Amino acid sequence: MSTHLPTAPIAPPAPSAAPEEAAPEPQRRLTSSRSGRRLAYWLIAPAVVFMVLVHLAPTIGGVVLSFKNLNTFTFSQLFAAPWNGLANYRSILFDSANPLHSGFLGAARNTAIYTAASVGGTLAGGLGLALLLNREFPGRRAVRTLMLAPYVVPSFVVGVLWGFMFQSDSGVINRILVDGTGILSHRPAWLLDHSLLAIVIPTIWRGVPLAMLIFLAGLQSLPRELYEAAAIDGAGPWQRFRYITVPLLRPLIAIQLLFGVIYSAYQYAIPVVMLGGNPGPDADLMMTLIVRQSFSNNLFGFGAAASTLLTLAMLLWVAVWFRAFRRDLDSAA
Amino acid sequence: MTAFTLSPRRRRRLTGIALTVLTYVLLVLMLAPIVWLVLSSLQTRGHLADGVYDFLHPTFAAFGEMWRSVDFGRYFANSLVICTAAAGIATAFASFAGYALARLSFRGSRTFGVSVVATQLIPGSMFLLPLFLGFIWLKQNTPIRLFDTHIGMILVYTAFFTPVAIWFMRYFFQQIPRELEEAAMVDGCTRFVALIRVVLPNAAPGVTATFVYAFLMAWDELLFVTALTEHTAETIPIGIRNFMGNYAEEYAQLMAAGVVSTIPVMIAFFATQRWLVKGLTAGAVKG
Repeated sequence: MSTHLPTAPIAPPAPSAAPEEAAPEPQRRLTSSRSGRRLAYWLIAPAVVFMVLVHLAPTIGGVVLSFKNLNTFTFSQLFAAPWNGLANYRSILFDSANPLHSGFLGAARNTAIYTAASVGGTLAGGLGLALLLNREFPGRRAVRTLMLAPYVVPSFVVGVLWGFMFQSDSGVINRILVDGTGILSHRPAWLLDHSLLAIVIPTIWRGVPLAMLIFLAGLQSLPRELYEAAAIDGAGPWQRFRYITVPLLRPLIAIQLLFGVIYSAYQYAIPVVMLGGNPGPDADLMMTLIVRQSFSNNLFGFGAAASTLLTLAMLLWVAVWFRAFRRDLDSAA
Repeated sequence: MTAFTLSPRRRRRLTGIALTVLTYVLLVLMLAPIVWLVLSSLQTRGHLADGVYDFLHPTFAAFGEMWRSVDFGRYFANSLVICTAAAGIATAFASFAGYALARLSFRGSRTFGVSVVATQLIPGSMFLLPLFLGFIWLKQNTPIRLFDTHIGMILVYTAFFTPVAIWFMRYFFQQIPRELEEAAMVDGCTRFVALIRVVLPNAAPGVTATFVYAFLMAWDELLFVTALTEHTAETIPIGIRNFMGNYAEEYAQLMAAGVVSTIPVMIAFFATQRWLVKGLTAGAVKG
């Protein structure tokens, strides 16, 4: 921060922020009426009912389930299955003799790596592309639109396609890297020996366009005068990027980090299509583990307890995130 | 301003050209997998197995066979019905709730807004297990059939994608000038009638974008349809997995199925791209 340039965000790069915040006064006047309030409750009622029925109630049910002993033998009892106290949690977290314990720890580690790599790669790639596209060049609009295409390919097709391209013998990636260019001297079995990498790359590929779009919207709203002033003061391109662009984009980085981590930690489709329901200890993720143990092995109590722990981990992440980026939220609000 | 300025200017121009070339190279790299998907679907099974393609003689054979190997038409129809209905209902709910958040102040509006975001923090497996058990319980104890039915999947997807749709619609309503509905209300409309007759028509592009986004998300969903269906209401992702399980060697057909499942969402996305992009970027900024 040893610079004379301002480091605090000046204008939040919120492409949408301008019009609606202009007139807070009429809002208060219009909406304080009692009929307006009653209408509001009617308007949100359908959404609330659905959120209670499909989000809230089942989530509570899931927490309850995590204290139950629900497996093949007690399945017919459904919610009336016997209580199990903390046994599910104990076996997951502390019972080193239980294979579920090592399975859970392995999946937690893989999920952390997968999430960090996917989110890091997606944000870095998205920012890089956004910087490239934030220049005048022929065909810019068309390039921007075409860049979005990977984002629209459904996840399960992404899994099918990349699983096909990653095939060791006939897959196009090895054909290029080994046969075509000789960059690699042997044929890696990507889906077996580098399975975590093999699912990270398609995840980034599909995620980059959205990150690019968001960063591009942010870049285009940055005040141009700031860059001109910095250039006159002798700041080079790197300094301008480091001390103007990055600080001003911080709110956008923050929000994408928040949702990117959650989205990646809960990723299921791409891994399961590429590697199957049991990807092995090197690439088993929390979701593949939970779904497999719950639905293939009928260990519903385990699945619920692991889901609860995953939720708690995400709440922790949100708390950490909030502490780290609170300042940026204030400036963006 | 004469002899010396030429050199840096030329250098800047060269840098510019290099960056433009780099941009186009990256574009090619980003699109290459999609091109490869299409090219592969136009090959025969033998070419794919060898990894040696015959680009000069593409064949659409796989596009004919894929409907027979697996009952792909049924999966496709199921996806269309379930995703259209769920996205439609979610957009309707979101139009109401989004309007309330954008325009009306009511006690609990903050709580409601936060809850909408909070739904995204919960892992699917957290409510998948109880939903699954609940659907099974209903099947065993009541005449209500939600497990493995279109209605069941529509209800679940509607609920899933309503929160994001609310955030979209809230943003689009904020873009519409208040004067529109105020004028209508001065003319004697109630606020609700003004919403239906005046505000919503003006928000039509936003409504369309919200619908398309919810549709894309539902089209993409794999986890819940795996657990909550058996053999009636399965959607395309299940069809694809059936392909992989039972016709593992039929790569050309699998690629063709991939192309067919991508085309509808591609068309929908690029047709509404301008507005969808606004919702997506605003959604990120607003969180």
